[in-house]
Amino acid sequence: MHIVIVGNGVAGTEAALEARRRAPDARITVVSEETDHFFSRTALMYVAIGQLAHKDVEPLERDVYERLNFVRVRARATGIDLEARQLHLAGGLPSLTYDRLLLACGSRPRPAPWEGAAGLKGVGHLVTMQDLNWFTRELWGNEGHDQPERPWAHLEASAADSPYRRRDTAAEAHGQPTQRPTVVGGGLIGIESIEVMAARGLKPIFLIREDAFWPIALDTQEATWIADELRHHGVDVRLGHNITAVHGDDKGCIARLETDHGDIETDLLMVAIGVMPQTGWLEGSGLELQERGGGIVVDEQLRTSDPHVFAAGDCAAVRWFNDWVRPEQLWYTGRDQGRVAAAAMLDADVSYQRGTWYNSAKLMDIEYTTAGLVNMRVEGEESWRFEEKGKVRSTTRLVHKDGRLIGFNALGRRWDHSIIVRWIEEKRPLPWVKAHLNDARFDTEFVPALRLSN
Amino acid sequence: MDLQAQQGLMTTYREAWRTRGPSAWILSALLVGFYCVLYWTDLFEAPAAAVGLKNKWYLYGFLYCVFMMGGAAYYLRQHGNSRYNKLRIGVNVSVQVLLGFTLPFIMPMLGQPEFYFSYFWPLKYDYLYPDTLHALPLYLSIYTILGTFVLAPVASLLWGKRWYCSWVCGCGALANTFGDPWRHLTEPSTKAWRFEKVAIHAVLILAVLALAVAVGGQMLNYKSDAFVQFSYSVKSWYGFAIGSVLAGVVGTGLYPVLGPRIWCRNFCPMAAMLGILQKAGRFRIRVKPDMCISCGNCTTYCEMGIDVRSYAQSNQSFTRSSCVGCGMCAHVCPRGVLRLENSWAKVEDKGKQGLSAVDF
Repeated sequence: MHIVIVGNGVAGTEAALEARRRAPDARITVVSEETDHFFSRTALMYVAIGQLAHKDVEPLERDVYERLNFVRVRARATGIDLEARQLHLAGGLPSLTYDRLLLACGSRPRPAPWEGAAGLKGVGHLVTMQDLNWFTRELWGNEGHDQPERPWAHLEASAADSPYRRRDTAAEAHGQPTQRPTVVGGGLIGIESIEVMAARGLKPIFLIREDAFWPIALDTQEATWIADELRHHGVDVRLGHNITAVHGDDKGCIARLETDHGDIETDLLMVAIGVMPQTGWLEGSGLELQERGGGIVVDEQLRTSDPHVFAAGDCAAVRWFNDWVRPEQLWYTGRDQGRVAAAAMLDADVSYQRGTWYNSAKLMDIEYTTAGLVNMRVEGEESWRFEEKGKVRSTTRLVHKDGRLIGFNALGRRWDHSIIVRWIEEKRPLPWVKAHLNDARFDTEFVPALRLSN
Repeated sequence: MDLQAQQGLMTTYREAWRTRGPSAWILSALLVGFYCVLYWTDLFEAPAAAVGLKNKWYLYGFLYCVFMMGGAAYYLRQHGNSRYNKLRIGVNVSVQVLLGFTLPFIMPMLGQPEFYFSYFWPLKYDYLYPDTLHALPLYLSIYTILGTFVLAPVASLLWGKRWYCSWVCGCGALANTFGDPWRHLTEPSTKAWRFEKVAIHAVLILAVLALAVAVGGQMLNYKSDAFVQFSYSVKSWYGFAIGSVLAGVVGTGLYPVLGPRIWCRNFCPMAAMLGILQKAGRFRIRVKPDMCISCGNCTTYCEMGIDVRSYAQSNQSFTRSSCVGCGMCAHVCPRGVLRLENSWAKVEDKGKQGLSAVDF
């Protein structure tokens, strides 16, 4: 049995571990264009600022590949021959013949769609390891002493549009790190980039298309707190602003943005407007892809339209908690899908079941926990909110329908989402939830309990 | 406003003095040199006398307090936004200043022996030697025996070894203040863990043997001159190798290159003893299921080199004997996945799954 896995992100790596657990003798090959070692993509911001080193963001010890006998191939996958069961690789490397193939090739950042942006130095993303290298050099003017091994030469052969290419920076062209950066996109990568820039002592401009920060997750009141927090840290938050065109200077670096609210002089544009499945290389292979978005179509066993090929993680169009079918770009769902796909590849009786939605984040210094249906415009929903404005500052919002808990959104405190999820699944009545709310706290010691008056 | 998580981001790896740059090595060499001079010469006697202190050890105690308080200011600026950190460092530094320096300074003036209420056998290795117990007033002999055999075990079962290592002990107080800038340098690899397990338990066994020999020497006082001689030399060799070289020169001198808990993690017999009790007690680090993003902040900033992430990402609440309960893993976690807690109630974890390569 030869299992080939494309991608060594969280889905691919978890799949390799699960496959090894179930099949101690299988041949397992992991193909990655991006890095030699699995790393935590969610931790890129910490490496950019220097809170963590490259090696710190590797969740498994490096000897795991030898210890568990995973063969690694550092290469770019270019296509599949479903008939011959072969994965083709770039750079003249021999194709790999598989018995089972797992596509865990992830996302790529959505490119800047504005006129004039293409090819400018100083325009980039924070999604891949190579993005991190670019961003680090823009911020600091150098790479720092701590570089991953075997970095770049190998990747220069990659296709021009690969998100894993080393890129030139505006900092190098200007001879100084960024002074006046701009971030566009009011989501998690946007705010993470902003946090890094603020910690670097910069006062970035934050362009958000919507009229509030992160409206898919926060309501107006919650979003206002975050926007205030951002402004408190010197961030120039501009809500309801749209870029219309991008202009470069004579060095080929970004210089000016045109927006619907006037021009902005800038020397760095972080484009954080989402990611999309990295499936362009599969077009024409015969695998069924979603028409809109390009996600790989899979069934409940995460099997694609070809019985020997599976998909997991950011590239797979899975069924969501609310019955949407599209890629779900989350860390924990990627990991769960990797595990299920590996078991299914080895003919175990499993299926991928997305449970109740939950997530958490840290928005600047404010911790955020969410569960269930929040901001989903459920008909008949109502919100009950509790706020604290003393030494502990927090907001806790219970979304309910017909008197029963359906969603939870909280800022400022720590919560055990697994308890809240259980309450939602048990359809607990609102008064009961209020009475037991403190049982779901996950606050550190010495933090006082919530004092609900009603 | 109090926050539970790290405020802002740290630029640790952009600071050469914190990442084994030349300045770190120079500082380390100076510290090692300082400890060699302190332990094995009388050079510090003159300046001690000049400022009216009885001997060089009081001068050392004074410097210790100064560095500790300076480090506490640094620590609180970095991590002081959380209540746990504020309280813990406040208590730990106060205990040292009062019980570790001021009281032993005052007691001789009142006709009492110089006694350290915050230290117990086996860290203070001579406190159970028969000649020490003999020389102490009865109430202090009882205190030191109860400290080792009642207070330490009971408190460790109830709250984990953190009650001592992170709230009372002077070594911990210096490590968490002056040593805090280097906490990320503690090696988290499996190899380092293996070394730690062998080394620290070996020192505990040595401490027990040294005590046994001392007690034996006392019992044989009038019968075997040879054994009495042997007992003296064992005591003094233990004091040299463990007390001076490992706790001082290596344990503190190498802060800037190997991290601040070298002694506590690898060599402290008290930590070994309390760690065994901790495993049997209430303390644990609780892991919130399926929320870890494997970023590595917890593992990196664990001063004891525990790979906290390996537990967090595979949904396992855990108690590790080396954990001193400083709370930093929970503090730097951007997803609030970890919580320190004391409870006899068993945690029902969701079940071990997720990125786990430990148990193959």
